[in-house]
Amino acid sequence: MELILDRVCVKRGSTCIRLSGNFHPGVHLVNGSVGSGKSTLALVAAGLLTPSEGSVTRTGIGSAMLLFQFPEWHITGRTVEEEASSFFVPSKKVLVRAGLSGRCDDDPFTLSRGELKRLLLACVLERQDDLLVLDEPFGALDCRGKEWARREIGKRRREGIVILCTHEQHFLPPVDWIWEFSGHTLACRGRVPQALASWTNAPDVVRKLVEKGSPPRNVTPEDIREAACRTPA
Amino acid sequence: MIRIEGLRHRILDIPALSIPPGFSVIAGPSGSGKTTLLRLLAGLEEPREGIIHSCGRDPSRLDRGYVHEFPGRNGLFTLVSQEIASPLWFRHVPCDEVERRVRDVARSLGIGDLLSREVSTLSGGEQVLCALATALVPGPELLLLDEFDSHLDARTTALVGDRVRSAGVPVTVMCTQDMDIAATADTLVFLEGGRVKHAGVPSAVFSDLGGSCWYPPSWRCKEWNSSLTGSA
Repeated sequence: MELILDRVCVKRGSTCIRLSGNFHPGVHLVNGSVGSGKSTLALVAAGLLTPSEGSVTRTGIGSAMLLFQFPEWHITGRTVEEEASSFFVPSKKVLVRAGLSGRCDDDPFTLSRGELKRLLLACVLERQDDLLVLDEPFGALDCRGKEWARREIGKRRREGIVILCTHEQHFLPPVDWIWEFSGHTLACRGRVPQALASWTNAPDVVRKLVEKGSPPRNVTPEDIREAACRTPA
Repeated sequence: MIRIEGLRHRILDIPALSIPPGFSVIAGPSGSGKTTLLRLLAGLEEPREGIIHSCGRDPSRLDRGYVHEFPGRNGLFTLVSQEIASPLWFRHVPCDEVERRVRDVARSLGIGDLLSREVSTLSGGEQVLCALATALVPGPELLLLDEFDSHLDARTTALVGDRVRSAGVPVTVMCTQDMDIAATADTLVFLEGGRVKHAGVPSAVFSDLGGSCWYPPSWRCKEWNSSLTGSA
Protein backbone atom coordinates (compact mmCIF):
# COMPACT_ATOMS: atom_id res chain seq x y z
CA MET A 1 0.00 0.00 0.00
CA GLU A 2 1.50 3.34 -1.00
CA LEU A 3 0.56 6.91 -1.83
CA ILE A 4 3.02 8.55 -4.20
CA LEU A 5 3.08 12.28 -4.83
CA ASP A 6 5.41 12.99 -7.74
CA ARG A 7 6.37 16.64 -8.31
CA VAL A 8 2.85 17.79 -7.51
CA CYS A 9 2.23 21.52 -7.74
CA VAL A 10 -0.92 23.26 -6.57
CA LYS A 11 -1.10 26.92 -7.58
CA ARG A 12 -2.37 29.44 -5.11
CA GLY A 13 -2.12 32.82 -6.76
CA SER A 14 1.53 33.25 -7.68
CA THR A 15 2.59 30.59 -5.16
CA CYS A 16 3.09 26.93 -5.98
CA ILE A 17 2.65 24.42 -3.17
CA ARG A 18 5.04 21.60 -4.02
CA LEU A 19 4.37 18.08 -2.82
CA SER A 20 6.61 15.09 -3.45
CA GLY A 21 7.08 11.92 -1.45
CA ASN A 22 6.04 8.33 -0.81
CA PHE A 23 3.63 7.61 2.03
CA HIS A 24 3.76 4.02 3.35
CA PRO A 25 1.55 2.41 6.01
CA GLY A 26 2.05 4.06 9.39
CA VAL A 27 1.44 7.47 10.92
CA HIS A 28 2.92 10.45 9.07
CA LEU A 29 3.11 13.64 11.13
CA VAL A 30 2.98 16.77 8.96
CA ASN A 31 3.92 20.18 10.38
CA GLY A 32 4.17 23.60 8.78
CA SER A 33 3.47 27.22 9.52
CA VAL A 34 0.15 28.92 8.81
CA GLY A 35 -0.66 28.85 5.09
CA SER A 36 2.26 26.58 4.19
CA GLY A 37 0.09 23.95 2.48
CA LYS A 38 -0.97 21.34 5.06
CA SER A 39 -4.67 21.47 4.14
CA THR A 40 -3.74 21.45 0.45
CA LEU A 41 -1.73 18.27 1.05
CA ALA A 42 -4.73 16.80 2.89
CA LEU A 43 -7.06 17.54 -0.04
CA VAL A 44 -4.63 16.21 -2.66
CA ALA A 45 -3.89 13.04 -0.67
CA ALA A 46 -7.61 12.37 -0.18
CA GLY A 47 -8.29 12.88 -3.89
CA LEU A 48 -10.46 15.98 -3.42
CA LEU A 49 -8.11 18.35 -5.23
CA THR A 50 -6.52 17.72 -8.61
CA PRO A 51 -3.07 19.28 -8.86
CA SER A 52 -2.22 21.52 -11.78
CA GLU A 53 1.09 19.70 -12.25
CA GLY A 54 2.57 16.34 -11.26
CA SER A 55 0.93 13.02 -10.47
CA VAL A 56 -0.76 11.28 -7.56
CA THR A 57 -0.57 7.48 -7.55
CA ARG A 58 -2.43 5.27 -5.08
CA THR A 59 -1.20 1.69 -4.99
CA GLY A 60 -3.29 -0.81 -3.03
CA ILE A 61 -5.44 1.97 -1.58
CA GLY A 62 -9.07 0.94 -1.93
CA SER A 63 -10.61 3.69 0.17
CA ALA A 64 -9.64 7.08 1.53
CA MET A 65 -11.19 9.36 4.14
CA LEU A 66 -10.49 12.96 5.10
CA LEU A 67 -11.34 14.65 8.39
CA PHE A 68 -11.72 18.35 7.61
CA GLN A 69 -10.09 21.02 9.76
CA PHE A 70 -13.49 22.62 10.30
CA PRO A 71 -15.84 19.89 11.56
CA GLU A 72 -18.97 21.76 10.49
CA TRP A 73 -18.08 21.06 6.86
CA HIS A 74 -18.91 17.39 7.41
CA ILE A 75 -22.41 17.76 8.75
CA THR A 76 -25.20 16.34 6.64
CA GLY A 77 -27.37 14.63 9.28
CA ARG A 78 -30.28 16.23 11.11
CA THR A 79 -29.40 14.38 14.31
CA VAL A 80 -26.17 13.22 15.90
CA GLU A 81 -27.07 9.60 15.14
CA GLU A 82 -27.92 10.41 11.51
CA GLU A 83 -24.60 12.17 11.19
CA ALA A 84 -22.74 9.10 12.48
CA SER A 85 -24.74 6.84 10.14
CA SER A 86 -23.77 9.00 7.17
CA PHE A 87 -20.24 7.63 7.55
CA PHE A 88 -21.60 4.08 7.07
CA VAL A 89 -20.47 2.99 10.52
CA PRO A 90 -22.47 1.40 13.37
CA SER A 91 -23.83 4.62 14.85
CA LYS A 92 -24.54 3.40 18.39
CA LYS A 93 -21.03 1.98 18.74
CA VAL A 94 -19.47 5.20 17.43
CA LEU A 95 -21.51 7.37 19.79
CA VAL A 96 -20.30 5.29 22.74
CA ARG A 97 -16.73 5.62 21.43
CA ALA A 98 -17.16 9.40 21.25
CA GLY A 99 -18.80 9.61 24.69
CA LEU A 100 -22.01 10.96 23.14
CA SER A 101 -24.45 8.09 23.55
CA GLY A 102 -26.92 10.36 25.36
CA ARG A 103 -27.05 12.83 22.45
CA CYS A 104 -28.42 10.55 19.67
CA ASP A 105 -31.44 12.70 18.80
CA ASP A 106 -29.80 16.13 19.20
CA ASP A 107 -29.08 18.45 16.29
CA PRO A 108 -25.33 18.13 15.54
CA PHE A 109 -25.08 21.93 15.59
CA THR A 110 -26.08 21.93 19.27
CA LEU A 111 -22.91 20.00 20.15
CA SER A 112 -19.99 22.00 21.44
CA ARG A 113 -17.10 22.22 19.01
CA GLY A 114 -15.11 19.68 21.02
CA GLU A 115 -18.05 17.26 21.09
CA LEU A 116 -18.53 17.64 17.33
CA LYS A 117 -14.85 16.99 16.71
CA ARG A 118 -14.99 13.86 18.91
CA LEU A 119 -18.04 12.62 17.02
CA LEU A 120 -16.40 13.05 13.62
CA LEU A 121 -13.08 11.61 14.74
CA ALA A 122 -14.85 8.55 16.12
CA CYS A 123 -16.68 8.16 12.79
CA VAL A 124 -13.59 8.35 10.59
CA LEU A 125 -11.57 6.15 12.93
CA GLU A 126 -14.30 3.51 13.04
CA ARG A 127 -14.12 3.15 9.27
CA GLN A 128 -11.11 1.10 8.32
CA ASP A 129 -10.07 3.12 5.29
CA ASP A 130 -6.71 2.30 3.77
CA LEU A 131 -5.82 5.98 3.74
CA LEU A 132 -6.94 8.30 6.53
CA VAL A 133 -6.07 11.99 6.32
CA LEU A 134 -6.61 14.03 9.49
CA ASP A 135 -6.48 17.82 9.08
CA GLU A 136 -6.00 19.38 12.53
CA PRO A 137 -7.82 16.60 14.41
CA PHE A 138 -6.90 18.10 17.80
CA GLY A 139 -8.40 21.53 17.10
CA ALA A 140 -11.29 22.40 19.44
CA LEU A 141 -10.55 19.44 21.72
CA ASP A 142 -9.84 19.97 25.39
CA CYS A 143 -6.94 18.11 27.00
CA ARG A 144 -9.09 15.09 27.81
CA GLY A 145 -10.31 15.03 24.21
CA LYS A 146 -6.77 15.36 22.91
CA GLU A 147 -5.65 12.52 25.16
CA TRP A 148 -8.52 10.39 23.86
CA ALA A 149 -7.81 11.36 20.24
CA ARG A 150 -4.12 10.58 20.36
CA ARG A 151 -4.79 7.14 21.82
CA GLU A 152 -7.47 6.41 19.21
CA ILE A 153 -5.24 7.59 16.35
CA GLY A 154 -2.39 5.51 17.80
CA LYS A 155 -4.55 2.38 17.41
CA ARG A 156 -4.54 2.96 13.65
CA ARG A 157 -0.75 2.92 13.46
CA ARG A 158 -0.50 -0.54 11.92
CA GLU A 159 -3.69 -0.34 9.87
CA GLY A 160 -3.00 1.60 6.70
CA ILE A 161 -1.65 5.04 5.95
CA VAL A 162 -2.51 7.86 8.35
CA ILE A 163 -1.51 11.42 7.41
CA LEU A 164 -1.75 13.63 10.47
CA CYS A 165 -1.55 17.36 9.67
CA THR A 166 -1.41 19.26 12.95
CA HIS A 167 0.02 22.09 15.00
CA GLU A 168 -0.44 20.09 18.19
CA GLN A 169 2.80 19.78 20.15
CA HIS A 170 1.96 18.05 23.41
CA PHE A 171 -0.71 15.40 22.86
CA LEU A 172 0.67 13.35 19.98
CA PRO A 173 0.31 9.64 19.20
CA PRO A 174 3.36 7.56 18.30
CA VAL A 175 4.32 8.48 14.75
CA ASP A 176 6.49 6.75 12.16
CA TRP A 177 7.57 9.59 9.87
CA ILE A 178 7.89 13.35 10.19
CA TRP A 179 7.21 15.69 7.28
CA GLU A 180 7.41 19.48 7.27
CA PHE A 181 6.76 22.31 4.92
CA SER A 182 9.81 24.38 4.20
CA GLY A 183 8.15 27.49 2.81
CA HIS A 184 5.54 25.90 0.54
CA THR A 185 7.55 22.75 -0.25
CA LEU A 186 6.87 19.48 1.54
CA ALA A 187 10.01 17.78 2.87
CA CYS A 188 10.38 14.40 4.56
CA ARG A 189 12.51 14.58 7.71
CA GLY A 190 12.69 10.79 7.87
CA ARG A 191 11.67 8.03 10.23
CA VAL A 192 11.26 8.57 13.96
CA PRO A 193 13.40 8.70 16.08
CA GLN A 194 16.17 9.67 13.61
CA ALA A 195 13.94 12.43 12.19
CA LEU A 196 13.76 14.22 15.55
CA ALA A 197 17.20 15.77 14.99
CA SER A 198 16.05 17.61 11.85
CA TRP A 199 12.48 18.41 12.99
CA THR A 200 12.43 22.21 12.79
CA ASN A 201 8.92 22.54 14.29
CA ALA A 202 9.76 20.24 17.21
CA PRO A 203 8.42 21.23 20.64
CA ASP A 204 11.07 23.02 22.72
CA VAL A 205 11.40 20.09 25.10
CA VAL A 206 12.13 17.66 22.25
CA ARG A 207 14.67 20.03 20.73
CA LYS A 208 16.46 20.37 24.07
CA LEU A 209 16.47 16.62 24.66
CA VAL A 210 18.02 16.11 21.21
CA GLU A 211 20.62 18.79 21.95
CA LYS A 212 21.50 17.03 25.21
CA GLY A 213 21.97 13.73 23.39
CA SER A 214 18.90 12.13 25.01
CA PRO A 215 16.27 12.12 22.27
CA PRO A 216 12.93 10.53 23.14
CA ARG A 217 12.07 7.28 21.37
CA ASN A 218 8.97 8.87 19.90
CA VAL A 219 6.82 11.99 20.30
CA THR A 220 4.23 10.82 22.83
CA PRO A 221 4.07 12.45 26.29
CA GLU A 222 5.22 9.12 27.78
CA ASP A 223 8.30 9.03 25.54
CA ILE A 224 9.16 12.63 26.36
CA ARG A 225 8.71 12.07 30.07
CA GLU A 226 10.95 8.99 29.97
CA ALA A 227 13.66 10.92 28.11
CA ALA A 228 13.37 13.93 30.41
CA CYS A 229 13.71 11.78 33.53
CA ARG A 230 16.80 9.92 32.28
CA THR A 231 18.53 13.15 31.22
CA PRO A 232 20.77 14.83 33.82
CA ALA A 233 19.36 18.22 34.88
CA MET B 1 -13.27 45.57 34.60
CA ILE B 2 -16.00 43.08 33.72
CA ARG B 3 -18.57 42.42 36.44
CA ILE B 4 -21.03 39.53 36.35
CA GLU B 5 -23.86 39.14 38.87
CA GLY B 6 -26.53 36.45 39.13
CA LEU B 7 -25.91 35.11 35.63
CA ARG B 8 -28.09 32.22 34.49
CA HIS B 9 -28.06 31.53 30.80
CA ARG B 10 -28.14 28.14 29.07
CA ILE B 11 -25.57 26.01 30.91
CA LEU B 12 -24.05 28.99 32.73
CA ASP B 13 -24.73 29.58 36.42
CA ILE B 14 -22.37 32.26 37.75
CA PRO B 15 -23.52 34.07 40.92
CA ALA B 16 -20.64 36.56 40.82
CA LEU B 17 -17.43 37.03 38.85
CA SER B 18 -15.07 39.94 38.27
CA ILE B 19 -12.55 39.99 35.43
CA PRO B 20 -10.03 42.80 35.89
CA PRO B 21 -8.44 44.74 33.01
CA GLY B 22 -5.57 43.06 31.20
CA PHE B 23 -5.28 39.66 29.51
CA SER B 24 -7.67 37.03 30.86
CA VAL B 25 -8.18 33.44 29.81
CA ILE B 26 -11.28 31.28 30.13
CA ALA B 27 -10.42 27.59 30.18
CA GLY B 28 -12.34 24.40 30.85
CA PRO B 29 -13.64 21.20 29.28
CA SER B 30 -15.55 21.08 26.00
CA GLY B 31 -19.16 22.03 26.58
CA SER B 32 -18.46 23.84 29.86
CA GLY B 33 -19.88 27.13 28.58
CA LYS B 34 -16.76 29.01 27.49
CA THR B 35 -18.09 30.16 24.13
CA THR B 36 -21.49 31.01 25.63
CA LEU B 37 -19.79 33.21 28.23
CA LEU B 38 -17.67 34.87 25.56
CA ARG B 39 -20.75 35.59 23.43
CA LEU B 40 -22.47 37.14 26.44
CA LEU B 41 -19.41 39.28 27.17
CA ALA B 42 -19.49 40.39 23.54
CA GLY B 43 -23.16 41.32 23.75
CA LEU B 44 -23.97 38.79 21.01
CA GLU B 45 -26.49 37.16 23.34
CA GLU B 46 -28.66 38.68 26.09
CA PRO B 47 -28.47 36.88 29.44
CA ARG B 48 -31.70 35.15 30.44
CA GLU B 49 -31.04 36.23 34.03
CA GLY B 50 -28.41 38.43 35.59
CA ILE B 51 -26.22 41.40 34.78
CA ILE B 52 -23.02 41.76 32.81
CA HIS B 53 -21.23 45.08 32.88
CA SER B 54 -17.96 45.96 31.28
CA CYS B 55 -16.37 49.25 32.35
CA GLY B 56 -19.76 50.04 33.93
CA ARG B 57 -21.63 49.65 30.64
CA ASP B 58 -23.68 47.04 28.88
CA PRO B 59 -21.33 45.03 26.59
CA SER B 60 -23.35 45.96 23.51
CA ARG B 61 -22.43 49.64 24.10
CA LEU B 62 -18.69 48.99 23.95
CA ASP B 63 -16.35 48.95 20.96
CA ARG B 64 -15.74 45.23 20.77
CA GLY B 65 -13.60 42.96 18.63
CA TYR B 66 -14.62 39.31 18.40
CA VAL B 67 -12.70 36.50 16.75
CA HIS B 68 -14.65 33.31 16.23
CA GLU B 69 -12.90 29.94 16.12
CA PHE B 70 -14.35 29.42 12.64
CA PRO B 71 -13.88 32.93 11.20
CA GLY B 72 -14.77 31.79 7.67
CA ARG B 73 -18.38 32.09 8.81
CA ASN B 74 -18.17 35.80 9.47
CA GLY B 75 -16.43 37.30 6.43
CA LEU B 76 -18.33 39.99 4.55
CA PHE B 77 -16.00 41.09 1.77
CA THR B 78 -14.05 39.46 -1.07
CA LEU B 79 -10.50 40.66 -0.46
CA VAL B 80 -8.50 40.45 2.76
CA SER B 81 -7.74 44.20 2.59
CA GLN B 82 -11.49 44.95 2.29
CA GLU B 83 -12.38 42.63 5.15
CA ILE B 84 -9.84 44.25 7.49
CA ALA B 85 -10.90 47.75 6.37
CA SER B 86 -14.61 47.10 6.90
CA PRO B 87 -14.90 48.20 10.58
CA LEU B 88 -13.23 51.50 9.65
CA TRP B 89 -15.46 52.02 6.61
CA PHE B 90 -18.52 51.50 8.79
CA ARG B 91 -17.16 54.24 11.08
CA HIS B 92 -16.62 56.61 8.10
CA VAL B 93 -12.86 56.84 8.71
CA PRO B 94 -11.10 58.77 5.88
CA CYS B 95 -9.81 56.52 3.10
CA ASP B 96 -6.11 57.37 3.47
CA GLU B 97 -6.25 56.61 7.19
CA VAL B 98 -8.08 53.35 6.50
CA GLU B 99 -5.33 52.32 4.10
CA ARG B 100 -2.58 53.14 6.59
CA ARG B 101 -4.23 51.38 9.53
CA VAL B 102 -5.02 48.27 7.48
CA ARG B 103 -1.43 48.08 6.28
CA ASP B 104 -0.05 48.59 9.80
CA VAL B 105 -2.20 45.97 11.51
CA ALA B 106 -1.61 43.43 8.74
CA ARG B 107 2.13 43.96 8.93
CA SER B 108 2.12 43.64 12.73
CA LEU B 109 0.43 40.23 12.43
CA GLY B 110 2.72 39.06 9.62
CA ILE B 111 -0.01 38.98 6.96
CA GLY B 112 0.99 42.01 4.88
CA ASP B 113 1.43 39.74 1.85
CA LEU B 114 -2.16 38.47 2.13
CA LEU B 115 -3.89 41.83 1.64
CA SER B 116 -4.60 41.31 -2.07
CA ARG B 117 -5.76 37.70 -1.62
CA GLU B 118 -9.40 36.63 -1.71
CA VAL B 119 -10.64 35.64 1.76
CA SER B 120 -12.09 32.42 0.36
CA THR B 121 -8.61 31.21 -0.68
CA LEU B 122 -7.08 31.58 2.78
CA SER B 123 -6.02 28.61 4.87
CA GLY B 124 -7.71 28.09 8.25
CA GLY B 125 -4.86 29.79 10.11
CA GLU B 126 -4.74 32.69 7.65
CA GLN B 127 -8.49 33.20 8.07
CA VAL B 128 -7.95 33.49 11.82
CA LEU B 129 -5.19 36.07 11.38
CA CYS B 130 -7.40 38.06 8.96
CA ALA B 131 -10.24 37.99 11.50
CA LEU B 132 -7.89 39.09 14.28
CA ALA B 133 -6.62 42.00 12.18
CA THR B 134 -10.25 42.99 11.48
CA ALA B 135 -11.02 42.90 15.19
CA LEU B 136 -7.94 44.93 16.15
CA VAL B 137 -7.98 47.60 13.45
CA PRO B 138 -10.63 49.90 15.02
CA GLY B 139 -8.85 49.84 18.41
CA PRO B 140 -11.49 48.01 20.47
CA GLU B 141 -12.09 48.57 24.19
CA LEU B 142 -12.84 44.88 24.62
CA LEU B 143 -11.26 42.05 22.61
CA LEU B 144 -12.76 38.55 22.74
CA LEU B 145 -10.89 35.63 21.20
CA ASP B 146 -12.54 32.23 20.93
CA GLU B 147 -9.88 29.50 20.62
CA PHE B 148 -8.40 31.20 17.58
CA ASP B 149 -5.03 29.71 18.51
CA SER B 150 -6.18 26.16 17.71
CA HIS B 151 -5.47 26.87 14.02
CA LEU B 152 -2.04 28.43 14.52
CA ASP B 153 1.41 26.92 14.80
CA ALA B 154 3.43 27.55 17.94
CA ARG B 155 5.60 30.30 16.46
CA THR B 156 2.66 32.20 15.01
CA THR B 157 0.75 31.84 18.28
CA ALA B 158 3.68 33.36 20.18
CA LEU B 159 4.03 36.23 17.68
CA VAL B 160 0.31 36.97 17.66
CA GLY B 161 0.13 36.72 21.45
CA ASP B 162 2.79 39.44 21.74
CA ARG B 163 0.93 41.64 19.24
CA VAL B 164 -2.38 41.23 21.05
CA ARG B 165 -0.83 42.13 24.37
CA SER B 166 0.89 45.21 22.97
CA ALA B 167 -2.19 46.40 21.05
CA GLY B 168 -3.34 48.53 23.98
CA VAL B 169 -6.77 46.92 24.31
CA PRO B 170 -7.93 47.56 27.91
CA VAL B 171 -9.64 44.18 28.35
CA THR B 172 -8.82 41.03 26.39
CA VAL B 173 -10.59 37.75 27.17
CA MET B 174 -9.52 34.61 25.36
CA CYS B 175 -10.79 31.04 25.41
CA THR B 176 -8.02 28.55 24.79
CA GLN B 177 -7.17 24.90 25.20
CA ASP B 178 -3.46 25.72 25.39
CA MET B 179 -2.64 25.76 29.07
CA ASP B 180 0.83 27.18 28.42
CA ILE B 181 -0.94 30.29 27.09
CA ALA B 182 -3.37 30.21 30.01
CA ALA B 183 -0.37 30.18 32.36
CA THR B 184 0.69 33.59 30.99
CA ALA B 185 -2.67 35.29 31.66
CA ASP B 186 -3.19 37.98 34.25
CA THR B 187 -6.42 36.26 35.29
CA LEU B 188 -7.55 32.68 34.65
CA VAL B 189 -11.17 31.54 34.93
CA PHE B 190 -11.76 27.78 34.84
CA LEU B 191 -15.29 26.68 33.99
CA GLU B 192 -16.80 23.26 34.50
CA GLY B 193 -20.42 22.39 33.85
CA GLY B 194 -21.30 26.07 33.41
CA ARG B 195 -19.94 27.08 36.81
CA VAL B 196 -16.73 28.84 37.79
CA LYS B 197 -14.62 26.12 39.37
CA HIS B 198 -11.51 28.27 39.84
CA ALA B 199 -10.68 31.92 39.23
CA GLY B 200 -7.58 33.95 40.02
CA VAL B 201 -3.97 34.20 39.01
CA PRO B 202 -2.77 31.17 36.98
CA SER B 203 -0.37 29.91 39.66
CA ALA B 204 -3.24 29.64 42.16
CA VAL B 205 -5.67 28.07 39.68
CA PHE B 206 -3.16 25.51 38.41
CA SER B 207 -2.10 24.57 41.93
CA ASP B 208 -5.64 23.22 42.25
CA LEU B 209 -5.33 21.38 38.92
CA GLY B 210 -1.92 19.74 39.45
CA GLY B 211 -1.81 16.12 38.34
CA SER B 212 -4.57 16.66 35.78
CA CYS B 213 -4.14 17.11 32.04
CA TRP B 214 -5.03 20.79 32.59
CA TYR B 215 -1.65 21.44 34.19
CA PRO B 216 0.53 23.45 31.74
CA PRO B 217 2.82 21.09 29.76
CA SER B 218 5.81 23.43 30.10
CA TRP B 219 5.41 23.46 33.91
CA ARG B 220 5.21 19.67 33.91
CA CYS B 221 8.41 19.41 31.83
CA LYS B 222 10.12 21.75 34.24
CA GLU B 223 9.19 19.47 37.13
CA TRP B 224 10.54 16.44 35.24
CA ASN B 225 13.80 18.16 34.43
CA SER B 226 14.52 21.78 35.25
CA SER B 227 17.07 22.09 32.44
CA LEU B 228 14.47 21.51 29.71
CA THR B 229 12.51 24.76 29.93
CA GLY B 230 13.39 28.40 29.51
CA SER B 231 15.72 29.75 26.85
CA ALA B 232 18.33 27.34 25.51
